[in-house]
Amino acid sequence: MDALEPGQLVSATRRPLPRRALSQGILALLWGLRIYVLIAIPVVVYAFVQALLTPQ
Amino acid sequence: MSEASIDSEPLLDCAPAIEALTREDVLRATDRLNVQKSRAAKSPLRLLWLLSGPGILVMIGENDGPSMVSYATTGATYGIGFFAPFILLTFLMAFVVQEMAVRVGVATHRGHADLIFQRFGPFWGYFAMGDLVFGNLLTLVTEFIAIQAGGLYFGVPAWLSVAGGVVVVIGSLAFRRYATWERALMGLAAFNLLFVPAALMAHPDPQALGRAFATWGPLPGGVSASFLTLLLANIGATVTPWMIFFQQSAVVDKGLTAADMPQSRADTGIGAVLAAVAAIATLVATAPLFVAKADVSQFANGADFATALAPLIGPTGATLFALGILEAGLVAAMTISTSSSYALAETMSAARMAGTAHSLNLDFAQGKLFYGAAIVSTILAAGVVLIPGAPLLAMTLTVNVIATLLMAPALLLLLLLANDREIMGELANGRLGNLTGGAIVIAISVVGAVYGAMTAFPGLLGK
Repeated sequence: MDALEPGQLVSATRRPLPRRALSQGILALLWGLRIYVLIAIPVVVYAFVQALLTPQ
Repeated sequence: MSEASIDSEPLLDCAPAIEALTREDVLRATDRLNVQKSRAAKSPLRLLWLLSGPGILVMIGENDGPSMVSYATTGATYGIGFFAPFILLTFLMAFVVQEMAVRVGVATHRGHADLIFQRFGPFWGYFAMGDLVFGNLLTLVTEFIAIQAGGLYFGVPAWLSVAGGVVVVIGSLAFRRYATWERALMGLAAFNLLFVPAALMAHPDPQALGRAFATWGPLPGGVSASFLTLLLANIGATVTPWMIFFQQSAVVDKGLTAADMPQSRADTGIGAVLAAVAAIATLVATAPLFVAKADVSQFANGADFATALAPLIGPTGATLFALGILEAGLVAAMTISTSSSYALAETMSAARMAGTAHSLNLDFAQGKLFYGAAIVSTILAAGVVLIPGAPLLAMTLTVNVIATLLMAPALLLLLLLANDREIMGELANGRLGNLTGGAIVIAISVVGAVYGAMTAFPGLLGK
């Protein structure tokens, strides 16, 4: 087992990591991403419905 | 373990191995022992061979059924002028992105979905996993369309090709051994290069090819909405979210460490070059359709291209093209279904649920969720393709929209992880890495959003 680095053992990779302390800039970026995602999901649904309604 | 005790310890240091060793640990240690022996013997080629895999598979895997159709459409519409060097550029961008994913994997020994959940919380964890698994399911449908189309060219009934594809994808999981799965898949992926002899049978003009790389031209018809659509589709055919999740998890499953970074970079670079060669070969193979002014707007799949190419490049070239399409769908189905397995099981594991081990080294009993995700998604996708009148075109279009519109969150989260010095240590992005990686991430995100919007609203840029 010496061939593995200690951090590669399954028991080690199962240890939880703490949440990252996010700076104001990253927090703002992630909120921007949330808004982007909220806009993008209806576009995906719209594209699917439109494609369904288009005769193949 | 309390949060305080977690905080007081180095993040990625490990506790003494007091828990029982798993089958996964033992198999990974066996592979690492071979690597160590090869390194000690100063055998660089053998070392590269042992450490290769994830990079080649991810790049060839992205040369999937829809991507090859996209390259074929491009070749038949514009010839080999502008797009030959452009495709090379897209694979360079893919290399930069995937290299970051490799670094995050070797520095943390954790998969992408696992890290997103743990470092950014459940919202992004569940969103990234849900987005990926749903998008992958639809993409798998398009891969089985490619498998079906390749089979139809040879007169194989649709149900038989699809059933054969399901047997190969699920059968590969029966190895229950990452290393064997990886080598078998690499053998299959080599057939992606069938597009090269197909291209040679189109008798391309070497001078025209050289001129294309030197001048990025010609571009028949100039810049138009259809040109922009193909441009964006080619970018979408090279960099997608499943690639990040797959390669990072595969690097962890293979047991790569920081010492293996030079070979891992080479693996990703070789993969990018091979995939670019196959993609450009597809462009070259279909260029005779451009010269013949063939109307490819109604072509639905790779088999249509193979049939149209037969009188132009000969039956052997067309056969190689159809085989290449079949291979593209099959290899992508295997890598994409596995990326779903990794993402689902890693996310559930990060949420501290039981029975969520995630490795191709697992026994079926320990990897019910992991193997189950790949098996169920494969059977579902194959089943959908065989349903008479199923909205396959709608699904193909939705795949494009999902993959491109939702590329931005995947890339930005990767960039944030690659800059997370607490977990990355010395492997964190440097200034140059952030400049190039950041520029590519922004460019691909913007382009992806524009392409997604154009696909959803086709009249956006006029004709």
